[in-house]
Amino acid sequence: MADFEERRGLLGDEAEGSSTGRKADRGPGRPLAAICDPSHFLHRVVVLVFMCFLGFGSYFCYDNPAAETAAVQSEVSDLNLNTAKFMQLYAWYSWPNVVLCFFGGFLLDRVFGIRLGTIIFSLFVCVGQVIFAAGAWTNHFWLMEAGRFVFGIGGESLAVAQNTYAVNWFKGKELNLVFGLQLSMARLGSTVNMNIMGWVYSKVALAVGSSGHTALGVSLMIAGGTCVFSLICALVLAFLDKRAERILQKEQGKTGNVIRLTDVKDFPLTLWLIVAICVCYYVAIFPFIGLGQVFFIEKFNFSPAQARAVNSIVYIISAPASPILGFVVDKTGRNVVWVITAVVATLAAHMMLAFTFWNPWIAMSLLGVSYSLLACGLWPMVAFVIPEHQLGTAYGVMQSIQNLGLALFAMAAGAIVDSNGYLVLEVFFCACVCVALIAAVMLYLVDYLKGGDLNRTAAARAKLQKEDSPESE
Amino acid sequence: MAATGRLLISTILLVFTFRSCLSLFYGGNTYKRKLFVQLNPNSSSLPRGGELLHVRAVGQNDTLHYLFCSQGAPTLLLVHTNSSSSTVKVNWSQFSSRNTSGSLTVEPESSILYSSAVVFSRLWEYDDVNNTAEASSDLLPPHELQDFSWSLFNLSGATSLLCGAPSDSTNGSLCLQLSVFDSEGRNKLWPRLLHSANSSQVEVWLNGILPRSNASRFVLELQAVSGTYPLSRVDTRQSIDDEYTPSIFKMFQWVSSINGSSDILGFVQWKPVAYRKSHPVLEDATPCRHSDPDSQNGEETAALSALIRGFYSNPEVMGMNVSFGMAGEPFYNSTMFLSWTMLVGVGSPPVDSFSPLVLAIMAVCLGAPVILLLLGGVFVFLYKRRHATVTAYERIN
Repeated sequence: MADFEERRGLLGDEAEGSSTGRKADRGPGRPLAAICDPSHFLHRVVVLVFMCFLGFGSYFCYDNPAAETAAVQSEVSDLNLNTAKFMQLYAWYSWPNVVLCFFGGFLLDRVFGIRLGTIIFSLFVCVGQVIFAAGAWTNHFWLMEAGRFVFGIGGESLAVAQNTYAVNWFKGKELNLVFGLQLSMARLGSTVNMNIMGWVYSKVALAVGSSGHTALGVSLMIAGGTCVFSLICALVLAFLDKRAERILQKEQGKTGNVIRLTDVKDFPLTLWLIVAICVCYYVAIFPFIGLGQVFFIEKFNFSPAQARAVNSIVYIISAPASPILGFVVDKTGRNVVWVITAVVATLAAHMMLAFTFWNPWIAMSLLGVSYSLLACGLWPMVAFVIPEHQLGTAYGVMQSIQNLGLALFAMAAGAIVDSNGYLVLEVFFCACVCVALIAAVMLYLVDYLKGGDLNRTAAARAKLQKEDSPESE
Repeated sequence: MAATGRLLISTILLVFTFRSCLSLFYGGNTYKRKLFVQLNPNSSSLPRGGELLHVRAVGQNDTLHYLFCSQGAPTLLLVHTNSSSSTVKVNWSQFSSRNTSGSLTVEPESSILYSSAVVFSRLWEYDDVNNTAEASSDLLPPHELQDFSWSLFNLSGATSLLCGAPSDSTNGSLCLQLSVFDSEGRNKLWPRLLHSANSSQVEVWLNGILPRSNASRFVLELQAVSGTYPLSRVDTRQSIDDEYTPSIFKMFQWVSSINGSSDILGFVQWKPVAYRKSHPVLEDATPCRHSDPDSQNGEETAALSALIRGFYSNPEVMGMNVSFGMAGEPFYNSTMFLSWTMLVGVGSPPVDSFSPLVLAIMAVCLGAPVILLLLGGVFVFLYKRRHATVTAYERIN
């Protein structure tokens, strides 16, 4: 899911500054019960529940293709799909986001407003999933691709909306905790999906009486139920937010993302290196997870259930590891070293998968840890190299390039498996990680020459801040 | 950083050591043979009951005789001699009457080092109603390949094609294509098995043979014959390398060895995959499985095949079934085509190694960051020193 969630923490900080929501005294009227009182903690917990489930549907359905394919291997032949075509389902998700990353925030702020925008994006997710399922049901592949495209339009922008809601309701309160919970929820969605869809499929196949595309379509429709659930959450949130606005007289939340493409020419070399690391690293993770289940079945003789479990370990580990490693990186600083460590660990994991028959649990666990570590080390660096008013543009550019990379590499990965097999695929992923490593080493050197801002220890940073602050006052 | 560098360097060393180990196996195998193809040796007319193909693969001081015959069940006989001038003699009247051994001999007889044969005896068909791909019950009467009507050999170079159909049917055929090689290499089409100058490749395919049920799957029965050391066990070799046969990480070799030692005299080698189309893509692959080899009655096998009867006086026979398809996979009816490939050879079976593409990518990708680290390290060191001298200078000032 293009790792949008990792940057929320930062966006949040930024949005916090620019968001104009203000607290007003509660209007006259009868006192409200705690759970109905928008300014009360208990009420915010209720809102938080809906907020978390807002994204659940899209995260649940994102990896549907992978989960379903491993569920019944022959499904690929049921649909007459080769790996390249299968991976196009992922590519079609990424295509709209190459552009939408720039406009998602704009649409939310200026055109729809957060409430309507969220409902619209949830609708896109729902309709996309229904089209996708209908395509499988009627065995039309182009319809499935169209479904993924529509789903993609909604999916990433919904994450932006979720983020904005969180800032709007929790800024200055439990914001970091909320971001953490939302992240864990996203991981939970992916994990539940990978482990439950095979079971759903087999039950449906029994009920329908055939294991062909009909059963696949029906089980995807059932998965679509989570999207409807998310849509309901969007409606409830819109209602609660409107109500809170009326009672507290606050304004609608804003993403605060202002994109100015002219900023791009001012971006320093270090940012482009960060972008390079980001693209080359994530193309070796997400397309791999899409293809991983069949790989584990074929190479390591895993059962489909085992393959799903080992494939989802990356997400499972990342849920608790992200906050812990985030804390560690925050306390120690030295982001570039952490990034290099993460990239090298990922390279080692991919090489294990490529060149050994070692139990893939080892490699995948390592991948899960290093993936979380990279996210914790890499994303905060953007804020160090880019002035705050350009952050929105920087993130937009990064996400756009990343989606472009994901779309292209997903298709390339599928084609490689079809013609040259999994070893060459793994070698190809190793090559991508190596390019990320080269970029990381260059980043270290460039940063060193510039004075080592990125690679300071946390103590040095704090000291620098202390020295700076008297001057600025 | 230093630790990172060390890790990378050791990984590179590992890859290169691995590579040189492989080239020990592989690089020395540039052996070439000269091939001589002869149809129906020393027969003046077309023999009745089927033809006999003789390919002589002559090396520096040995000869491999490949004999491929369609009298009875199709049979491939491989005789290894230690002389580059050994010959095959056939007494055609005895050979075609199929009742005495010794009608086909390799001379001088003392030069024979090893011989083995593969008889393609039967094609089983079963009705897989429950889609389990278990051939335990529902077996239909087998297609006896000795009763097929076989075509004449269709020769092109050292490749010969033999097709046959059940005598009561004109639809479809079962074809066997034998390729003998003068040197190492691999075919263009999957499974792209690596062959050496000491092995031949047999591709078996069913094309359009009418299935007798709506859910037909097929099983091919093979019988391996030898004079002294039978092909007794099947070794499984796991391979990390699936670049030649995508998504297949296993190789099976049915080998003959002296009292179970690791020295292999002869082998039949295959990957557990068959294809449902003649020009397959990945989704046309279908897995195949084999039964454990068990010993068979030599006399019965000799009765099936003129070549076995004529060459072996006391054949030792092991039988094995190779079944195609897996539970849930499409049936034969979906494409009416099925092809499977194996190697038959003497000595140790060929071992796959990484392609230059993989080695080049790994070398470049692992090498570049290390070189960058080294250069960067030197650069930083020099920069630091210059910087240090500058500050020192300023301080004195």
